[in-house]
Amino acid sequence: MRYAARRLLHSLVLLIGVSLLSFLFANLAPGDYFSAMQTDPRISAETIAGLRARAGLDQPLPVRYAGWAESMLRGDFGYSLAYNSPVAPLVWERIRATLLLTGTATFVAWLLAIPLGIWSAAHYGGWRDHALNAALSLLLAVPDLVLAIVLLAGAVETGWLPVGGITSPGWDIMDAAARLRDILSHLALPAGVLVLGMLPVLTRHVRAGMLEALRSPFALNARAQGIPRRRLLFHHLLPAAANPLVSLFGFSLGTLLSASLLVEVVTGWPGLGPLFLDAIMGRDFALVLAVVMLSTALLAAGNLAADLLLYRLDPRIRVQ
Amino acid sequence: MMRDLRRFWPPLVLLAAFHAAVVLAGFLAPYDYAEQHRDFPYAPPSRIHLVHLRPYAESPDGKSYPIEFLVHGRLFGVRPPGVVFLLGTDGSGRDVFSRLLYGGRVSLLTGLAAALLSLVLGTALGTIAGFFGGWPDQLLMRGGELMMALPWFYLLLAVRAFLPLHISAVEAFALLIAIIGGIGWVRPARLVRGVVLAGRENGFVQAARGFGAGSPYLIRRHVLPLTFPVVLTQATVLIPQYILAEVTLSFLGLGVGEPVPSWGNMLAEARQYHTIVEHTWLLAPAIAIVPLLLGFLLLADALSGQQVST
Amino acid sequence: MFRYSTFALALVVSALCAGAEDLLVLQDLSGRQGGRLVYAQRSEPKTFNPIFAADSVSREAIGMMMADLVHINRYTQRTEPALAKSWTVSPDGRRYALELRRGIRFSDGQPFSADDVVFSFRVYLDTALDSPQRDLLMPGGKPIVVKKVGDCRVEFDLPVRYAAAERLFDGFAILPRHLLEPAYKTGKLAEAWGLRTPPAAITGLGPFRLKQNIPGQRLVLERNPYYWKADKNGIRLPYLNEVDLTQAGSEDMQVLRFESGESDVIRRVGAHDFAVLEKESRRRGYTVSDLGPGMEYTSLYFNLDPAAGRPGFLRRRSFRQAVSTAIDRNALVRLVYGGHAAPLGTPVPPGNKAWVDASLRPPVPSVSAARALLSSGGFKWSGGNLLDPAGKRVEFSIITSAGNDDRVQMATLIQADLKELGIQVDVVPLEFRSLLDRVLRTHQFDTALMSMADGDADPNPDMNTWMSDGGNHLWNTAEKSPSMPWEAEIDRLMRQQMTVPDYARRKKMYDLVQQILMEHMPLVPLVSPDILVGAKRNLGNFRPALMDHYTLWNIEELYWRELRTGERP
Repeated sequence: MRYAARRLLHSLVLLIGVSLLSFLFANLAPGDYFSAMQTDPRISAETIAGLRARAGLDQPLPVRYAGWAESMLRGDFGYSLAYNSPVAPLVWERIRATLLLTGTATFVAWLLAIPLGIWSAAHYGGWRDHALNAALSLLLAVPDLVLAIVLLAGAVETGWLPVGGITSPGWDIMDAAARLRDILSHLALPAGVLVLGMLPVLTRHVRAGMLEALRSPFALNARAQGIPRRRLLFHHLLPAAANPLVSLFGFSLGTLLSASLLVEVVTGWPGLGPLFLDAIMGRDFALVLAVVMLSTALLAAGNLAADLLLYRLDPRIRVQ
Repeated sequence: MMRDLRRFWPPLVLLAAFHAAVVLAGFLAPYDYAEQHRDFPYAPPSRIHLVHLRPYAESPDGKSYPIEFLVHGRLFGVRPPGVVFLLGTDGSGRDVFSRLLYGGRVSLLTGLAAALLSLVLGTALGTIAGFFGGWPDQLLMRGGELMMALPWFYLLLAVRAFLPLHISAVEAFALLIAIIGGIGWVRPARLVRGVVLAGRENGFVQAARGFGAGSPYLIRRHVLPLTFPVVLTQATVLIPQYILAEVTLSFLGLGVGEPVPSWGNMLAEARQYHTIVEHTWLLAPAIAIVPLLLGFLLLADALSGQQVST
Repeated sequence: MFRYSTFALALVVSALCAGAEDLLVLQDLSGRQGGRLVYAQRSEPKTFNPIFAADSVSREAIGMMMADLVHINRYTQRTEPALAKSWTVSPDGRRYALELRRGIRFSDGQPFSADDVVFSFRVYLDTALDSPQRDLLMPGGKPIVVKKVGDCRVEFDLPVRYAAAERLFDGFAILPRHLLEPAYKTGKLAEAWGLRTPPAAITGLGPFRLKQNIPGQRLVLERNPYYWKADKNGIRLPYLNEVDLTQAGSEDMQVLRFESGESDVIRRVGAHDFAVLEKESRRRGYTVSDLGPGMEYTSLYFNLDPAAGRPGFLRRRSFRQAVSTAIDRNALVRLVYGGHAAPLGTPVPPGNKAWVDASLRPPVPSVSAARALLSSGGFKWSGGNLLDPAGKRVEFSIITSAGNDDRVQMATLIQADLKELGIQVDVVPLEFRSLLDRVLRTHQFDTALMSMADGDADPNPDMNTWMSDGGNHLWNTAEKSPSMPWEAEIDRLMRQQMTVPDYARRKKMYDLVQQILMEHMPLVPLVSPDILVGAKRNLGNFRPALMDHYTLWNIEELYWRELRTGERP
């Protein structure tokens, strides 16, 4: 417990560090929120300067940081220039959709990766192993975004799945079952893209871990004792192979907010993705920073969870 | 360690063939990567047919021309006005097959070198963190979280603004490798650290320590070998990811510039709806990576592999 | 009950601009009521505040809920009466008197009067607010003065003579004083009408009003029952009951949603996507059309700022003319736009029908003519490489927006064209704001390939683009006064045409401006992309136009020829 408390303190320092460096980076990057207005011949430089001053962009960096920190403590998470509104409500509105998507996808990906990896390792060197490897290599080679568009094109062609969004028009008049079906049909495509993107990496690590375990003297020993194969694989070898998988699982938890951002944009999922991408391109910095801070916190939490889990699974490890 | 040498041959041959093809792009490719056949944008792959055992290529205009071998220092080609596009052309009428070969130079090099950089950094830092624990562990792992969390996008924009507009090919390479590889060490580091955390408590490590072995010796002799499978597996997933990561940097103006092809920027062109439904051949780089990845995977297996008892 | 009491209140107050309801009856319009239109926007509107909305998506939504005094018909590009049913201009051309429509109401039922107009313009002009629209109301740098002269009459005094000043009113949404004045007085106007404002608190004079907003997903607009237009049968517009603005997320998604039938209308389709949609149109029950080149023009801008330290040959006219001559614009049109664009010989795009100098044709691409131009300018060749008169190798870079594949491809094609002249060109795609920073602030670029658009089909709002002290004078935004005689001549002509009321004389001056530009080539106009649009075949009165918003500018007139099943009439 003391360990967890100390980690919490470290995470706080981490968050402050991230916010400071983010401010610095954003300050170094060319352009600000108002620079796109400069291309409109109908807006004068004086007006833009006035808008900048109103937004406090003409203030020195420490002053802006102090203003942001104060707003953070109030729970506003800063003030979005594009939306003319505090950031917190904007983010909360969308975070559920993102978590629904990434949570589902992460769960499904692990659910598939573990048996696939074990199966692949159990058939090591055989044609089934090779076939699976080839398929996974293809998934690794195709960028997520291309995959998304391929699936979208298929959805348009067949009409099996809706294209984009999270609910259909007329959602208000649906009953609970219809609503569930509606959400699932919208969720299938973006979640599918994410699962296919996560699957190769996870499966590879499961496979490698299993191979390692299979090669250990302990596996040979167990086989000699006549433990059934399935039982051996799932009950004895999987825990032995778990170490890197636990670290990986920590990453899965830690990237719940950030893993899907681009996929959301491409598949039209109304989560943080479109909001974040617009904000980062548009230099709506408070909004960017809010998402960065949240995902940092989640990343730290995911890693902490992984470390605690590592400790539970492998009592040899003493995490100070 | 007994290793089955026969397992090395298939992947090595495959990888060697790939790299040779890319190095010999100037000979194997029928056209220069920048050559624009402006009359044939988005031409589908040329149909090849045999007439009296001589191969003919059908141009997009419907006429067939004999394929000639070893002319003008190229392996094969067709006398103008005929054209041969084994994998079709892009929107500017450039031969995708030729660009694929030339593009492999950039992509294989950046993919490999950046993955190597990430893995070396990741293994070193992960081992230190896992082996020593305590504050080095905390510092390195929180540092890693910092690396993963920061909005690099803005810093890279600032870097781009600071650099001169024209970046030479060599500088672009170095930048790509440094940025992609330098930011990506966190994941391998954490995985390695987890393994080392468990491994340093192993009986033989403890025993060696009891005999008075120093830390550098312990790490080299007993701990590093434990991380081998994880590192190799990471290599097989990082290489393709880094080959594609180059696109993101192109967006910031930090990639290789037009008209030089890379698999990343070729796929970026293909990332549009109309390509997927109408001009499927532009996805060729994605298909080309697959055997390459398989080669790396088999090599990784062979490197880590004693025979498995299943 | 509530409705009644506000109605009674309205009766008392409406002495302001009362009278029989002055409906605008459109004599050649017919249609039928009912139905819902779904339109997939690229992203989500960020605000409903007409004073501060700067992004096009927000303005798209706001445009459906708000109305202006005088409106530019997007189809004819001419002004027509809106909330002002007529106007008169004083002989000196500096006083506009607008007669407002009587007896009309905001979408919450409150009456509209001259006070709302005066309030709106006070807000737009307030120096403390810095509305991005303010500068339009400052011809010659001084604000327009707005006066109420009677309940239904407003006067606008211009500080200088300003040709076609009635066009200025287009796009200035008239705000409800009764809802926004409190926020204005407490200095909270910028925060007003955000995404989280309850729909009932947002009201306007446009054809629709906000019904529901589901952030990140969709916006539901319902018909404004008080809208002030009617068709020839006396049916009050709009015809549609509801407009659903869903948020697609990207341009590809807009195309996919339209193709799958989930969106009824699409605008500004890319040329390659257009080809895909065209193929599927018969099967899917929609039509797509190419309206021809619009108001956008893509050009290659040279950096003429001598202080920027860029190569000297950029500032040689013969060099710029040679570049223009060597570029094969037809190849750009064919390869980048699949033929859906027009090659340009002047920076005024052909979509701007009243102002383009049609005698300026795009040059016939010719390497030999370009070589001759270079030779005459003292350039030489050595080993196939072009050398400038000082003997230095001619090498420069083109920067362009990395997010726009079309422009990157154009730069690559130009790179190949100029290679024929022995010029080494580097194509450098940059993130958009980094690009702007270089062009507008640091001037660290050689040439930039950028697109601009004539927002209004009139030269006056473009003063900043051509005047030497203008902020959009992209070849040199540093100078405050003309550094070259031809720039001084452009300045003079632009200033003069601004005040001359007669169209023919203005046109002559603007033609001259275009001719000077093409003689000195601070920018090489390249192409103007066609406006490509699509809509369900069933959609009546669909009249897409070359001006923004292209498809839904007459949303109040759109109707469904046959209602879809399950929709109430």
